[in-house]
Amino acid sequence: MTTLSRKCVPFTPFDRELSRSTIAIVTAGGVHLKDQEGFNIADELGDLTYREIPPDVDSSQLMVTHHHYDHTDADEDVNVVFPIDVLRELESEGFIGGLAKKHIGYMGYTMQLKAMYEGTAREIANEIDRGSRADAVVLTGG
Amino acid sequence: MKGIPTVLITVSPEVSAQMRPPRALYPKGFKIGNSLGRPGMRDLQKQVLRDALSLLTRNTRPGQAETIEYPEYGEQYEPPRVKKLG
Repeated sequence: MTTLSRKCVPFTPFDRELSRSTIAIVTAGGVHLKDQEGFNIADELGDLTYREIPPDVDSSQLMVTHHHYDHTDADEDVNVVFPIDVLRELESEGFIGGLAKKHIGYMGYTMQLKAMYEGTAREIANEIDRGSRADAVVLTGG
Repeated sequence: MKGIPTVLITVSPEVSAQMRPPRALYPKGFKIGNSLGRPGMRDLQKQVLRDALSLLTRNTRPGQAETIEYPEYGEQYEPPRVKKLG
């Protein structure tokens, strides 16, 4: 396992044109499909799991399970934290090339920071790297 | 080591800076839960996402957030601060 200095900025250059690039969204805002298991908000240590969201999802089938921010606005329009419809519009306008095959939602609250950093974050990166064909990722919080 | 280019949209720039994001956009004054703007404000949401994605193609300063103002958002909010110990 590669370990980065705590002062290191893990910068990866982007050498493509946006109009030919595939973009994935990874959100810590607790977004998931209504028919997926919600995040465990009963455990005060947090929830280290994540959910895969397909690119053709109907955004009305998404919901938020997160108890550390007010997601009233996201309940009304999930695009305020998970801009999947917005991304599709940018694709139709030719601003980006397309949507990645896989997007990710997780609950960005945990008291298990080491497990989140060394476990969940790496698993999500692998999902994006191997399974999504994303050229770049937009990260959002709550 | 291979990496994946990322850009963060944050409404808590001081908190996010602790993780040294390679590229980040702070839409000034947006409240927590409104990373892209308010519900239904699709034009604003698109502009924020365009601006965030555009950071991928620009010479940014890794680890620092770019602040952009969006007057159409309306009422502004103070971002959370990092609590100093001691």
